[in-house]
Amino acid sequence: MTNGPLVIAVPSKGRLQENTASFFARAGLVLVQGRGAREYRGRIAGLEGVEIAFISASEIVGELAAGTAHMGVTGEDLIREKIPDADKKVALLTKLGFGHANVVVAVPQAWIDVKSMADLEDVASAFRARRGERMRVATKYVNLTRRFFAAQHVTDYRIVESLGATEGAPAAGGAELIVDITTTGATLAANALKVLDDGVILRSEANLVASLIAPWSHAARETARIILSRIEAEEAARTTREVAAQLDDPQDELFNKAEANFAARLRRFGDDGWATFSCPNEKVAELADWLISCGAIEVTVAALDYVFSATNQLHKKLLERLG
Amino acid sequence: MQPMAGFDLRVLRKALAEHFEAAGYQPCEPPILQPASIFFDSGEDMRSRLYLTSDLSGAEYCLRPEYTIPVCRFYLDQATAGSPAAYCYCGPVFRFRPDGASEFIQAGLENFGRRDREAADAEILGRALGAAHAVGQTELTVRLGDAGLFSSLLDALALSPQWRRRIAHGHAHEKPLDRVLALDNGKSLDHDGVLAALAGTDKHSARALVEDLLSIAGISTVGGRSVGEIAERFLEQAALKSNDGFPAEKRAILESFLAIEGDPDDALAKLAELAKAAKLDLAQALDRFDARLGFMAAHGLDVKSFQFAARFARNLDYYTGFVFEAHEKARPDEKPLVAGGRYDGLLKSLGASDDIPAVGAALWVDRLRREPSERAQ
Repeated sequence: MTNGPLVIAVPSKGRLQENTASFFARAGLVLVQGRGAREYRGRIAGLEGVEIAFISASEIVGELAAGTAHMGVTGEDLIREKIPDADKKVALLTKLGFGHANVVVAVPQAWIDVKSMADLEDVASAFRARRGERMRVATKYVNLTRRFFAAQHVTDYRIVESLGATEGAPAAGGAELIVDITTTGATLAANALKVLDDGVILRSEANLVASLIAPWSHAARETARIILSRIEAEEAARTTREVAAQLDDPQDELFNKAEANFAARLRRFGDDGWATFSCPNEKVAELADWLISCGAIEVTVAALDYVFSATNQLHKKLLERLG
Repeated sequence: MQPMAGFDLRVLRKALAEHFEAAGYQPCEPPILQPASIFFDSGEDMRSRLYLTSDLSGAEYCLRPEYTIPVCRFYLDQATAGSPAAYCYCGPVFRFRPDGASEFIQAGLENFGRRDREAADAEILGRALGAAHAVGQTELTVRLGDAGLFSSLLDALALSPQWRRRIAHGHAHEKPLDRVLALDNGKSLDHDGVLAALAGTDKHSARALVEDLLSIAGISTVGGRSVGEIAERFLEQAALKSNDGFPAEKRAILESFLAIEGDPDDALAKLAELAKAAKLDLAQALDRFDARLGFMAAHGLDVKSFQFAARFARNLDYYTGFVFEAHEKARPDEKPLVAGGRYDGLLKSLGASDDIPAVGAALWVDRLRREPSERAQ
């Protein structure tokens, strides 16, 4: 396998697939899917030595854990649920900003006396004492549930594995409460369930994940470097703006203040008095205001396509974790 | 040093079996493949360690993770279930362990149906320690506890049902008392109005109030718990709230009780002293404790060398009375070689029509196999 391709596993269907494809496309990496029998294999246009595997989200986790894929796109919820001791087997390289979902503990709204996990501990032990049976928790997140409940001292419960429509289990009499993912909470509310105040087990979103078990040949590392530098360049461009202003009396002190107060880094300063900063998106307006108050007549803000940097943080993170 | 090879294991297993059978314990070897569901009520921790499989019909099985439940089920299937019976076993059990072999040999004893509980407790301890001695483990520290004594204390303290349940639950899981008593969920701010309205009311009006609250909120489906149960919990909380926390004098008694440890006779004297000072009637429980020590001595056990600790509960809520663990003297902090206790509630939960007294012990054969020279290192 030393000369095998770098394998990247991506979701094969639904919104996750679309979001993943556009994430790579933004970084100038166009995923090309095979046809016919090769439908589930693909490549990146113009980049040698990469194989894209189009598979289901849960299979992606399996391949990362087994080391048959080097990198993959999948939710943190599945990583934490399906891989025991996940941090030894995979590295979460970067959050991708889509596929947001929280894994939560939800109980019937009618349990007006239950608001916290401590209430649940109390109620669960009373339930068992009274009925001789444990409260049932419907979920597909068996391992996350066990770890979280143990940490919260809830022991008097029993998991009922649920593979779909978990939120319906309490109304159908299949369980007393559930652990499930939710994005807006609307489905839970429609099923007369509520999330406990301290019942958020995990705030999950899609991640770019690297397998630490995969055969990371020299070639695979180099290909990963190219891909990660493009991803990082796009991310840096997307999250920052270039802010330019002509200043009367530019001083080091002004540049220091810009950095301290607005996280704005000086990129260029020319003899013509024009200074160019890179600034996080959310600070741009404040920085412009402040520059004008410091005497700038005009401040321009521009979006960039890519910001490539000599220090590739994602690749560095990968190498550190690979050891 | 590696554990001894298979031959020695066979000798060891044979020695243990002979020891048990000579004492009148009948060998009982339930199938390795067991219906998985019978272990589900042992808690999610046990369940997460099961090795599961299923047959063509989809029925779920597991490799037996322990012997007690299968042996209990065997006993309940006998025509003589309910009358005294004593079984022994020795064979592999399978439990996922991240830091060790997941298949290991367990030997043990189960003693069912004897009403002379204290004598049966002492006998199990004597036989289990005797078996360990017989295979060369003579340097053991033995720790004793008594879940029955603790529940007598809780009865005598006349606690509210909620506090009683919380403290018993905390004790079984060896959760420190100050953390149990700090549980403050009766004072959740949003409930203040409800709790004030409920103070001093009866079950009937509490139920009506909860029904009103639910209908005002437009909630019609009540999952799992009844309106009555929800109302009852509000009443408990209202009572706790009006009592302004856990009564200080009862807390002091619990703390003194849980601090008692030492050799069993001294501990008994301290327990009696505490009961007298706090004017608590623990006479029956203390008599049983005393009787048990007597039976131990009659078995030739050196009671003075044992350590009793009132807070010792083996981190399991399944024990209802006497509990014990024996560790190697040289390795007091490692897992026990021998452990056991009384579990009078289990047989009923497995289908018996009444509580049947039961006491048992298990020996970890892999740990018994360690050589004395290895122990000395």
